[in-house]
Amino acid sequence: MSVAHPALADHSHEAHGHHDPGFVRKYIFSTDHKVIGIQFLATPLLMLMVGGALALGVRWQLAFPWQAMPILGSGLFAAEGGQISPETYTMLFTMHASVMIFLVIIPVLAGAFGNFLIPLMIGADDMAFPTLNMLSYWFMWPAIFFFGASFATAGGPNAGPAAGWTSYPVLSAIPDAAPGSGPAQTLWLFGLTFVGVSSMMGSVNYMTTIINMRAPGMTLFRMPMTIWGMFITAILQAFALPVLTAAGFMQLFDRVRLFGMGIHTCFFVPAGLIVNNADPTVGGGHPLLWQHQFWFYSHSAVSIMLLPVMGMVSDMLTTMCRKPLFGYKPMVYSLAAIAGLGFIVWGHHMFTSGMNPALGMTFMISTMMIALPSAVKVFNWIGTIWGGKVQFNTVMLNCVAFISMFIVGGLSGIFMAAVPVDIYFHDTYFIVAHFHYVLFGATLFGVFGGIQYWFPKMFGRMMSETLGKIHFFLSFAGFNCTFFPMHLLGIAGMPRRYADPYLHPYLEHLLPMNQFMTISAIVMGFAQFLLLINFFGSIFWGKKASRNPWNANGLEWVAPSPPPHGNFESVPVVHRGPYEYSSPLVDDRDYLMQTDVLPLKGAEA
Amino acid sequence: MAKSWCIFFIFWPTLALAVCWMAPAWGWWFPGDAASTLGARIDDLFYLILIIVSVVFVGTHVGLAYVLWRGSSFNEPKALFTHGSHNLEVIWTIVPSGILLFIALYQMDVWADYRVQSAFPPEAVRAPVAEVTARQFEWRIRYPAPGKTLQLTPQPDDLYTVNDLHIPVGRPVMIQLRSDDVQHSFFVPMLRVKQDAVPGLVIPIWFDSVRSDTYELLCAELCGWGHYKMKARVVAQSDANFKSYLAELHREQFDDGVPSAATESSEAAETASKSE
Amino acid sequence: MTLFRLHQLLVQPKFGSAGRQVIANNFVWEVLPVRNRASFLVPAALMAVVIGCEQPQARFELTERTKDLMSPARTAVADAVEENFGTPNDLVAWLRSPTRYGDNTGHVAGGDGTVSADSFPAEFDEPVASDLSGAALRFTSGKYQGQQVPVGQFDADAGQLVLGAVLDPPVEQDTQFQVVGDVLQHGRMLYMTHCMHCHGVSGDGEGPTAQYLDPRPREYRLGIYKFTSTKQTDKASTDDLQRTVKQGIPGTYMPSFMLLKDDELAAVVEYVRFLSIRGEFEKKLVDELYGDYSTAAVNDRLESGESEDEIESQLTAYIQDDLPSTVDFASSDLASSWTNADTEAAVVVPEKSRVPDTLESRKRGRALYVSDRTKCVTCHGPKGRGNGSATNDYWKVPGSNETYDSRGLHDLWGNKLSPRDLTRGIYRGGRRPIDLYRRVYAGIKGTPMPAFGGTVLKDDEIWDLVNYVMSIPFESEQPSPGNEQLAVTVSDQPR
Repeated sequence: MSVAHPALADHSHEAHGHHDPGFVRKYIFSTDHKVIGIQFLATPLLMLMVGGALALGVRWQLAFPWQAMPILGSGLFAAEGGQISPETYTMLFTMHASVMIFLVIIPVLAGAFGNFLIPLMIGADDMAFPTLNMLSYWFMWPAIFFFGASFATAGGPNAGPAAGWTSYPVLSAIPDAAPGSGPAQTLWLFGLTFVGVSSMMGSVNYMTTIINMRAPGMTLFRMPMTIWGMFITAILQAFALPVLTAAGFMQLFDRVRLFGMGIHTCFFVPAGLIVNNADPTVGGGHPLLWQHQFWFYSHSAVSIMLLPVMGMVSDMLTTMCRKPLFGYKPMVYSLAAIAGLGFIVWGHHMFTSGMNPALGMTFMISTMMIALPSAVKVFNWIGTIWGGKVQFNTVMLNCVAFISMFIVGGLSGIFMAAVPVDIYFHDTYFIVAHFHYVLFGATLFGVFGGIQYWFPKMFGRMMSETLGKIHFFLSFAGFNCTFFPMHLLGIAGMPRRYADPYLHPYLEHLLPMNQFMTISAIVMGFAQFLLLINFFGSIFWGKKASRNPWNANGLEWVAPSPPPHGNFESVPVVHRGPYEYSSPLVDDRDYLMQTDVLPLKGAEA
Repeated sequence: MAKSWCIFFIFWPTLALAVCWMAPAWGWWFPGDAASTLGARIDDLFYLILIIVSVVFVGTHVGLAYVLWRGSSFNEPKALFTHGSHNLEVIWTIVPSGILLFIALYQMDVWADYRVQSAFPPEAVRAPVAEVTARQFEWRIRYPAPGKTLQLTPQPDDLYTVNDLHIPVGRPVMIQLRSDDVQHSFFVPMLRVKQDAVPGLVIPIWFDSVRSDTYELLCAELCGWGHYKMKARVVAQSDANFKSYLAELHREQFDDGVPSAATESSEAAETASKSE
Repeated sequence: MTLFRLHQLLVQPKFGSAGRQVIANNFVWEVLPVRNRASFLVPAALMAVVIGCEQPQARFELTERTKDLMSPARTAVADAVEENFGTPNDLVAWLRSPTRYGDNTGHVAGGDGTVSADSFPAEFDEPVASDLSGAALRFTSGKYQGQQVPVGQFDADAGQLVLGAVLDPPVEQDTQFQVVGDVLQHGRMLYMTHCMHCHGVSGDGEGPTAQYLDPRPREYRLGIYKFTSTKQTDKASTDDLQRTVKQGIPGTYMPSFMLLKDDELAAVVEYVRFLSIRGEFEKKLVDELYGDYSTAAVNDRLESGESEDEIESQLTAYIQDDLPSTVDFASSDLASSWTNADTEAAVVVPEKSRVPDTLESRKRGRALYVSDRTKCVTCHGPKGRGNGSATNDYWKVPGSNETYDSRGLHDLWGNKLSPRDLTRGIYRGGRRPIDLYRRVYAGIKGTPMPAFGGTVLKDDEIWDLVNYVMSIPFESEQPSPGNEQLAVTVSDQPR
C-alpha cells in the first residue's frame, strides 16, 4: 500500500512495512503520525461539543437562575421542577473547564496539528518514536474515561467533581468539604494524570523528531513557525508537566484510602479544620503549596495552548497574504521569550492568595514583561499583512480573528498583571473574559483556520468555503457578544463561579446582560454544528484537492494530498526558508517552495 | 466581498469601544466610586491602564484595518517582498517595554501600602477591629469586648456576630482574616478590598471607609456549593455609633431573658456610651 | 406582563359544602420565580423553543407513611392535603390554617389610571407589603362579587393593578376586593431560591444537596424545631424561626440569612410554617388510618381472616363519614397549637435574673453537671467533650422494641446525634445566657436532651449550670491521672 520509493526505502524502518498492515493497525492502533494526528483532531472536536454543552448549562443558570434547565434539569431534578441544585452548577463549570482545557485545547494543538504537521513540515517520514506516538493518543482515552466517570458519579451519594478545574485544596482534598470531593475528585485526578502522561509522551517525541529528523537543508532557522511553536511547546511541557503530575499525586495521597489503610498525607491540609462536622484534620500542610505547583504548570499550559497556534497563524497568514513573514527571527525569539518568561509568572494567579507580598511585586514585573514578546508578535503579524495581496478566505478570516482577539485578550491581561488593580479584578468575570479571549478567541479561531488550511492535506479534499464563512461569521459574532460583556460584568464586580449572583443587590441589574450573553452563547454553540458538518461532510464530498492547493511554500505541500505512508516520494532537500512568497527570483508565480531548485545563481534565501 | 470583511473587522472593535464608552452610563461599570482611600488609588491606576490600553487597542486595530483594507485592494501581480525591518523591530520592542515597565513600577506603591505589613497604618495595627472567620457558608465575626483589644484566641467576653461587620468610618481599620474550613476570599467591591482567607493562616488586612455607608461583602474564592450564598455586609459608622453598636451587642449577647434586667442594662449601656 | 397571562386560573374551590366557608379556599397559581427586572419575552420564547412544553413541575412529596397506606386511603389523604394546601405551583390559601397568607383589601380607584379588561387603578386600604404577583383577588362587591381572578402584578408607584385574566366588561370604579396570598407566594419564591436545595420542595429535608450535609437539614413535616424559646410542649414561635433564619445555626450548614429584608424574612418563615402545618396535617390524617390500613396492618387483617372487600368497604365508609371530621379536628388542633406558640405564655422566661458568674457559681454548676440529678455527664462526658458513656450504647427506637443500627444517640428523625461538644464554644441554639437557659429549661425538642426546668432544677441551679457550661471552653487543661472528675479545673477567667 505504501509507496516504496527507492529514495525512501533506506529511510523507512520496519514500522513502515511494505505489506498491508490490516485495517486495525492502519486506522485504529496506527503508528502513522498522520492517522494519529487525525484521531487527535476528531476526538477533541467531539469533546468540544461536550464542553460546549456544559458551558451552555452554566450560561443557562446565569441567565435564568433557578428555572427549569433543559435536559439536565428535567432529567435529574424533576421533583424540583427542573431547578438544578447549586452543586450541580459547580460541577458544570468544573467539567466545562476540565474538558475544554485538558481534552480539547491541549490535545488539539500538540496532538492533532503537532502530530500531523511536524514530520510533514520538516521532511521526515514519520515521528521518531511511532509506537510512543500511538500510545500518546490512546492514553487520552483513559483520561476521557476517568473524567467521564468522575462526572457520571453525579446524582448518587457523591456528586461529580466540584472544586473547579483548579481543584484548590482544602476544598478538593477533604471529601467532606464539597459534594464532589469524594471519589469523583479522585477519578478526576486520575484523568489529569493520564492527560499528563499523554502529553509527556507527545512532548518527548516532538523534541526528538524536530532535533533529529529534519530533512537535508532544513536548518533550525529555515523551520516554519508552526514547528518552532511545537518545538518550544514540547520543551515547555517536558519541564512543567512533572510538577503538575507530582502535585496531582500529592493530592491523591492526601485523599485516598488503599486496602482499608489511609495514606492520608497532609501535603495541602493544615491542622484543626473541621469541615462538615467531620473529625478535625491532623494537618501540617499548606494549601498554597498546591497553588504554586498547579500554576507552575498551568501558567505554562497557557503557552502550551497558545504557542503552536501562534506558529500556525504565522504560516497561514503568509500564505494568504502572499508575502514573507515580517521579522522571522524576532518572531522566533519572541516565541522563546513567551515560553521562558512563562515559567516565572505563575504567581500572578495568586496575588490575593496571601503569599508574601514581595512575591507579588516580582511576579508583576515578570508578567508585564511577558506582554512584550506578545506585542512584538502582534506588530509583526500586522507587518506581515501590510503590503500583502490579501485573500479573504475562511483561513484568512480566522487568522485575522485570531490576531484581533489575541490583542483584546492580551490587553485585558495587563489590568490583572497590575497587582493593585488585580485586587479588585481577581476572581471576577473580568478574568473569565480574559482567558476566554485568549483560549477561545485566539486559540480556537486559530484552530478553525488551521483545520480549513490543512484539511486538503489530511483528506485530499477541500472544505466548503461557504459553510466555513458562515461558521466563522456566527462564531465570531456569537463569541464577541458572549464574552466581551464579561469584561463589563467584571468591572461591575460580579464574581466567578456564582450559581446565583443576583442574590447580591449590586449585581441584580446585570441579569438582562447575562441573558443576552446566554442567547449569544447558544447561537455560537449551535454554529459549531456547521463546523462538524463541514468537517465530516467534506471528508466525503469535498472538492478534490491538488498537492498544493494554497500555492504555499512549506514541505508538507510537496507531498501528495493525502500523503501516503512514509509521506514523501523522495527525501526533500530544502534550499530556503518557508516564507519566500512574491519572490523576485521567479516570474511566473508568486511562491517559491522550500524544495524548489532555481537555475539562477544565488537563489538560496 | 473582501471590503465587506474589512468593514466586519472594523465594526467589532468600534462596537466594543462604543459599548465601553456607554457602559458607565448604562450602569455596567464599577458599583460606585471607590469608598476607601486605597480604593480610589486603585481606581486611578485602573483608569491609567485603561487609557494606555485603549490607545494601544485603537492603534493596533486601526493598523490591522488599514493593512487589511490595503490588502483587499491590492492589484499588483505580486505582494511586497520584504522580510522585515530591523529598525521597526527595535522600536516596537523598546517602546512597549518602556510603557510596561512604567506601568509595573507605578503600581508598586499602592501594592506596598495595601499588603506589606510594615507599611500598614500603625493605628490600625495597634487595635484590630475584629476577627473575621470564613466558613461554609457565612462570615463569623468576633469583636473584642468594649475597651479591650482583640486576642488571637477567643476570650470569654468576646462579642460575636455573623455576616455583619461593623467598622468605624474615616480611619484605617485592620481585621484578622482566617478560615474554619476551606479557602474563601474576603471581597468588598465598594472598598476594592479582596483577600483570600487561607485555612491555617491568619492574614491581617487593613482598609478604611471614607463615608458612613453599608457595603456588600462576599466570597470571591470557590468554597463549595454555597459559594454564592456568602452574603454579608460591612457597615461603616461613626465612632460613637460603632461604640454604641458594640455596647448593644454586648447587652444582647449577655441577655438573660429577664425583662427588667435587660432594660436596665440597656439603659446602662446607653449612659455608658454617652459618657464616653 | 404577557408572561403572566399564560397562567390560567386552575381549580375552582370544591370544599364549599360540608359546612366550610367558601372563603376558606383561595386558589393561588404559579408564577415562575423570576424577578421582574427585565423583559422576559425573548428568553421566554427561547425557552419555549428549547424545551418545548414539557416543563417538569415541582411537587410536594407524600411521606413514607402515607405511601405505605393501602391505595384508597393513600388517595384520600393525598386528596385532602392537596385540596387544602395545593401544589408548589398552585398553592392554596386555606384560611382555617394558622398561616398569615397576606391579606389586603382595597377598591378600584378613579383618577389617572385607565380601567381596561385586564387592569385597573387600585387603591389599597393599607400599603401593600410585598409583590402581589400570583396572589388571588376576590371581588367583594359589584358585578363580579365573589369571583376570583389571579393578580398579574401590581405597580405600587403607578397604583395600577394588572390582572392575570381578562374581565369583559371591565370592573367598575369603587368595586371592593380582597387580595389574598401575596405573602405566601413571596415566601415560596424565596424558599425555592434560598432553602429548597437543602430542605426540599415539601420541607422534607431531602433536597438535592441535603445528602452531603452533616447534620441533615431539618425536616419540617413533624412540626418540630430544635431551637426554640418556647416551653417543652409548645411549637416553635414565629420569632424563633425568624431568629434561626437570621442568625443561622452555628456549627451546621444552616447559614445566616442576616440580610434578608424584614418582609422577606417574614414571608419565607411563613412559607416554612405553611410547609410544617401541611406536613403535620398529613401526619394527623395518616395517624388515624395507619393502624388499620398500612400495608402491614392490612396483611395482618387478611391473615386473621378478613376479606379484602370487607377492609375496603370499611375504608370507604370511614373516608365518607369520618374523614371530614378528622380534617376538621386536625385543622383546629393545628390552629390552636401554632397560634399558641406565638403567645407570651408559651415563652420560657426565667423568674430570676442570671446568677452572677462567679467561680463559686461555676463550681456549683460543675457539681450539678456531674450530679445524678442532671446526669449531664452521661451524654456530654466528664469534660464536656460530648463523649459520655451514652454515646457508646445501643438505644431503642422510641415507640418500638428495636434498637438503632448504630451506637449512640438519635433524634426523632432517626439521624445519629452527637451530644454537643461543650469545649468548642459553638452553641447551635445561640450563645446568649438566655439561650443556654432555655436549652436546659425546655430541652431540645426532638432530641434526647431533656427539659430540666420547673421540675428537676430551680432557676438558680439552671443559671449555675449555664455559668459553668459557658466557662468550659476556657478551662485550663491540667491532666491529673486517676481522678477524672477533679481533673477539670473550673475556669476562673473573669467575664
